Amino acid sequence: MGNSVTELKQGRTGRITHFTDDQIAGKLTTMGVLPGSKVQVVRTAPFSGGFYLKVDGMNIVLRAHEADNIMTTADE
Amino acid sequence: MNIIALAGNPNSGKSSIFNQLTGLRQKVANFPGVTVEKKSGKFQLYDNEEVTLIDLPGAYSLYPNSEDERVVLNVLTNPADENYPDVVIYVADVTNLEKHLLLLIQIKDLGLPCVMALNMSDVAEKEGIRTDIELLSGFLKVPIVPVSGRTGANIDNLKQVVSAILKDKTATPLLYQPGPTEQKTIHRLQTEMAIENPYRALLIAHHFKKLPFLKQVEKAAIARICEAEGFNDMRLQIAETMRRYEDFTPVLQKSIRREAEKTTLTDRLDAVLTHRIFAPVIFFGIMFLVFQAIFAWAVYPMNWIESGFREAADFLKATLPAGWFTDLLTEGVLAGLGGIVVFVPQIAILFLLITILEEVGYMARAVFIFDKLMQQFGLNGRSVVALVSGGACAIPAIMSTRTINNWKERLITILVTPFISCSARIPVYSVLIGFAVPSKSLLGLFNLQGLSFMGLYLLGIGAAFFSAFVLKKILKSGEPSWLMLQLPPYRLPVWRNVWLTIWEKVRSFVVQAGKVILVISIVLWGLASYGPSAKMGRAEQAAIAQAKEKSLNENETSDLVAAHKIEASYAGHLGKFIEPAIRPLGFDWKIGIALVTSFAAREVFVGTMATIYSIGSTDDEASIRDQLAEARRPDTGAKVYTAATAMSLLIFYVFAMQCMSTLAVVKRETGGWKWPLIQFVFMSGIAYLASWFTYQLMS
Repeated sequence: MGNSVTELKQGRTGRITHFTDDQIAGKLTTMGVLPGSKVQVVRTAPFSGGFYLKVDGMNIVLRAHEADNIMTTADE
Repeated sequence: MNIIALAGNPNSGKSSIFNQLTGLRQKVANFPGVTVEKKSGKFQLYDNEEVTLIDLPGAYSLYPNSEDERVVLNVLTNPADENYPDVVIYVADVTNLEKHLLLLIQIKDLGLPCVMALNMSDVAEKEGIRTDIELLSGFLKVPIVPVSGRTGANIDNLKQVVSAILKDKTATPLLYQPGPTEQKTIHRLQTEMAIENPYRALLIAHHFKKLPFLKQVEKAAIARICEAEGFNDMRLQIAETMRRYEDFTPVLQKSIRREAEKTTLTDRLDAVLTHRIFAPVIFFGIMFLVFQAIFAWAVYPMNWIESGFREAADFLKATLPAGWFTDLLTEGVLAGLGGIVVFVPQIAILFLLITILEEVGYMARAVFIFDKLMQQFGLNGRSVVALVSGGACAIPAIMSTRTINNWKERLITILVTPFISCSARIPVYSVLIGFAVPSKSLLGLFNLQGLSFMGLYLLGIGAAFFSAFVLKKILKSGEPSWLMLQLPPYRLPVWRNVWLTIWEKVRSFVVQAGKVILVISIVLWGLASYGPSAKMGRAEQAAIAQAKEKSLNENETSDLVAAHKIEASYAGHLGKFIEPAIRPLGFDWKIGIALVTSFAAREVFVGTMATIYSIGSTDDEASIRDQLAEARRPDTGAKVYTAATAMSLLIFYVFAMQCMSTLAVVKRETGGWKWPLIQFVFMSGIAYLASWFTYQLMS
């Protein structure tokens, strides 16, 4: 049932299927990160920090443990 | 007077629209009960009606994730709130409209009349984005005005629509269709709690625990209803958000046409600016340039201001009759005012550069770059902004921590920011480094004094991170910490916003810090000018006798009199009183006075030393240094200012919380005296120990 977005290779795109944590899902959905959204891992931060994602054309950054909750299917 | 509220997501360009509508007719205060900044202003509508405009904090939805967002909910769900608007101007960024509609339709469902200001219309045109306004407006049942916060295009049109809405407020049906559980809960709240609007009832069911306007009895009643109906707030919130998106996304897809996605300028810039290796290097490069600019550019206006105040004081002394009133005016009021105004150039330049970095979108990247590193020290990526601003002044820096949503991380940021050497330490450093460090160059390249300057800054930064690390271990927090941040596309700064921000910051510095510093300078002047009258008289006579003996000229005599008088004054007594405590640090009673007086503001140190060492009216750092070099202990004849004393004093100023205004701001931001007191004690403690160690080591 899909992998976490953190497992996507840098530059690859996927589609969000669901979230594994309600609290984080609540925050992400209000920002427009939704199941069905197209997501791309743009890069990770210096000092092995968070993730820089592109979600439906919007640039958003979050911490690794937050991104862990975003489940995706990889596009071909 | 009718109230108009500006609402919208962060990054919607709300503040540009606010500035376009109000210009200089704006003021900043806090929303009642919280430290969230409230900008409000006045403007005239098309038919000359004057209205109040309130800039609500940026929010993504009425399901708040931060203190800022909570304010929006509190105001908009409480018709009795003093800020409850008659009309909402909703600002949305047309280049990313699909992510900006959620909050709008929520506000609209609360029954508030709305108009949508479609911002960035000028940019959209260039980027090939075309919007079918009629289709969208028909679906949302909200009038839409394309505007530009950058150029001010169509702002008059917006005002016209607001006028029209004020005249005709017809309610429109809910856009959102609640599910069965929601419906039942809403119905019961409407009938049992007399809440008219159904969406307001739903939001109250979600948020009642934290809504400040509900009474305890009401909260208990709502809790019973929610429990009886099996109201699960988190799941229902997510379901509502998703349903709303499902409703408007198809309409948006029909009404917006954009050219095929391509790599944007932002993507290309971010490839370098947020690069894993280059990003930190570039950040430090930018910071280096910022501080270079502050020191290089601010010198000239600071010199003008200093000489201006000196001339004004001389002029007053020459024209007014001699006496206590003239002294109070020139040595108390003018000296105090000068001490404040002289920092305006540095603060203005720092805010100019930081506001530009903020406006172009770079600050959000800095947060991303340093978040992980900051977390190791119990801080947050957003702490970077505060720590950088702390290099100018801790006061605005501490105010900027409001965006940190985790209380523990915010508190630690507030507590350690004053360790960063602010601009007020510069005059103290430059006077004292002259003693402690010879003016030689190292390897013929680096100036040793310049290097010491940098060393002091690094020491402050080190202390900030070390204390943060310790505080992280001590403080407990059950609150989860998170960071979800939208990175806005890079844009050229809107200069109007930049100038208005600088104006606002400088004004609040002069007014708020100014009041404190002015009062303290007047009190100090009093303490230093008056004392037990018999002693003061004896001191004066002794000085005059001594002057005759040495056949001094008129100026030198009056300087000598002043020096003797200050020793006999109340300030002198105070200095002598604390002398035993500071002896181990290598300080005498004269430095003691300066330590006490510079508690008002560090830069007062230089002025106080000038007075004590009877340099009369000169404020010149070089002549103060010469005078200090000559000072000797009366008992032993040893020099007071050895390198050890100067170094000890320098170290003291790096660490000590010598700033009343900062403590006052910390009190306001943390809601009590507890944290500022703790901060004062640990900073002074570290300063004392470090100074003691330095002095004992060097002497």
